[in-house]
Amino acid sequence: MKTVAANGKRKAGGKRWHVAVIVVLLIYLFLPIVGTLLFSLAKEWQDEIFPNSYTLEWYAQLLADMRFYEAIGRTVLVSVLTVAITLTIMIPVIFVLHVYFPNGEKLLQISIMLPFAFPPVVSAIGLIKIYSSGPLAITGTVWILIAVYFVLIQPFIYQSVRNSLNTINAIDLVEAAEVLGAGKMTAFRKVVLPNILPGTLVASLLSFSMIFGEFVMSRMLVGGDYETIQMFLYNQMKTSGQSASAVVITYFLLILLLSGLVLKLGSWKPRGYKKAALQEEE
Amino acid sequence: MSFVQVEHVMKSYGEVPVLKDISFSVEEGEFLTLLGPSGCGKSTLLRAIAGLNDIDSGKMFIGGRDITSLSPKDRQVGMVFQSYALFPNMSVFDNIAFGLKMGKMKKAEYTPLVEQMIEIIDLKGKENYYPNQLSGGQQQRVALGRSLVKRPKVLLLDEPLSALDAKIRRSLRNEIRQLQRKLNMTTIFVTHDQEEALTVSDRIIVMNNGEIEQQGTSEEIYTLPGTEFVARFIGSYNVWSRPEMEQAGFADIPSGDLFAIRPEVISIVPQAAVAAHDAGYMYTIGYMKHYAILGNVVRYHVDIGGLDASVDVLNDSGLLHLRENEAVRLAIPMEKCQPLKKLG
Ligand SMILES: Nc1ncnc2c1ncn2[C@@H]1O[C@H](COP(=O)(O)OP(=O)(O)OP(=O)(O)O)[C@@H](O)[C@H]1O
Ligand SMILES: [Mg+2]
Repeated sequence: MKTVAANGKRKAGGKRWHVAVIVVLLIYLFLPIVGTLLFSLAKEWQDEIFPNSYTLEWYAQLLADMRFYEAIGRTVLVSVLTVAITLTIMIPVIFVLHVYFPNGEKLLQISIMLPFAFPPVVSAIGLIKIYSSGPLAITGTVWILIAVYFVLIQPFIYQSVRNSLNTINAIDLVEAAEVLGAGKMTAFRKVVLPNILPGTLVASLLSFSMIFGEFVMSRMLVGGDYETIQMFLYNQMKTSGQSASAVVITYFLLILLLSGLVLKLGSWKPRGYKKAALQEEE
Repeated sequence: MSFVQVEHVMKSYGEVPVLKDISFSVEEGEFLTLLGPSGCGKSTLLRAIAGLNDIDSGKMFIGGRDITSLSPKDRQVGMVFQSYALFPNMSVFDNIAFGLKMGKMKKAEYTPLVEQMIEIIDLKGKENYYPNQLSGGQQQRVALGRSLVKRPKVLLLDEPLSALDAKIRRSLRNEIRQLQRKLNMTTIFVTHDQEEALTVSDRIIVMNNGEIEQQGTSEEIYTLPGTEFVARFIGSYNVWSRPEMEQAGFADIPSGDLFAIRPEVISIVPQAAVAAHDAGYMYTIGYMKHYAILGNVVRYHVDIGGLDASVDVLNDSGLLHLRENEAVRLAIPMEKCQPLKKLG
């Protein structure tokens, strides 16, 4: 009996310990954001923990600044374009390798790991060297960004596409479709694509968020020529700390929204699955 | 020429031969079963006929047409996979309609055909269900309907029932058989379950190690196994060599070196009748070891000079009072002693 009680106590103690760790972690994560928020709202802030008086001036200024919207527009454009291009190229490639050349998939796996092996700064310098002259002089344009981001996000896209192909038993589906009279292309379009797209959605949104927040590459490869939201923030920091804080908070809210979307869509299923779930509930 | 003709088909994976010079034929409307242990090349052969695997050499014909180098979509075969391979993004209706749509049929043309097929496979009212809303048996029926609705020249079934539990498996295999008879559908069925093969087939091809071991009707395969492999694979045969039988005390053994004797042809005769000695029978004395009740038959294991003899007796013959180590006398009709070719 004694041991049971002791166990119970230890359990309760363990739980308290968990909660404490989580609280500390949350404080650690949110304190800078709260600080930034307060700073962006402060009118005067002297000798106290909290500001002496508040203002929305910085937000008003920011929201009236066309440059801010343009920067967001550019970032969204780059992100969407990159994800779209990556999906368009990677899905057929992975599909063909997976179904028809399973041995080739190993090669792809190796190439996928490359971006992890090189730190962004290193690869950026290499890329500038190659692409600032010669037949493909795209340094300083949005295209080099898209090309670099492609490399950056392809591991995530690859993983999710491959997992989806495995989950749906793509090889069997293609074979079944072929025996039923479908060509290889038709089989891919009608049977494989609709079943893997939902699975790649989350990876796409994650990639989107990643590009949305990327700074090093965009600063080094394109810089002021193509002001993304991160570049805009960087420039703001040089003029006014408080205005930069307002940018950070707005940006944070945008990412929060995006993450919420990812989480929500993470549980999204295509037509057939959704209906099944509904009927089970009935 | 038969309706389906497979001639000298060879296939290796790297250095490993998987199909070694396979030739056989199937008549129109026939239900042929490829039976063999796991890894003997059944699926490889079936997939070669469907065009999903290429072959190294040999020729294949369906309805007189050489299909050896045609792509799967042009072979006019239907195939049901072990994993069903239903399209998860399509309803039952759309799954079944898929093949017809691929054949460039208009909606107005294929709708009645699909509805008719849904009725045949007994899934009326479930047209709009998606595959994951169906039970395993229902999914398998959709897979069957999807292949049959195109009226393929040959239906290929690769262990279509192996993912189902025993009861559904039995009822579904009878349904498949009835449907096949009704549509007079030439069918090649792959299984590693000898009971399944014996119950549904017109003819069975027993495969082993990429080769055809024996072919014949269910009756022939069951009663007249030609090789040791077939006798052992088909079930509970007693497989004994001549020296073993001599050791066990049998006299008048027919000519041959290796024999297969089914448990149900052996009878346990009363000790009192020791003197009786019918011509055409072999006799010996043994000791009861143990028995198991297999439903309507009881299987006794009798020790005869070191050999273990399985003996099946109908479950109503009142022999159950036989005790362990009790001496019994066995009689085997000589003509039921099936001589075998040795393995290898
Ligand atoms: N893609 C492949 N590469 C190499 N070897 C293969 C390949 N596919 C099959 N094999 C080999 O060919 C042999 C026959 O395989 P197959 O799938 O035809 O067997 P099976 O008779 O259908 O067995 P099961 O009853 O288990 O399905 C096996 O030994 C297998 O290892
Ligand atoms: Mg197989």
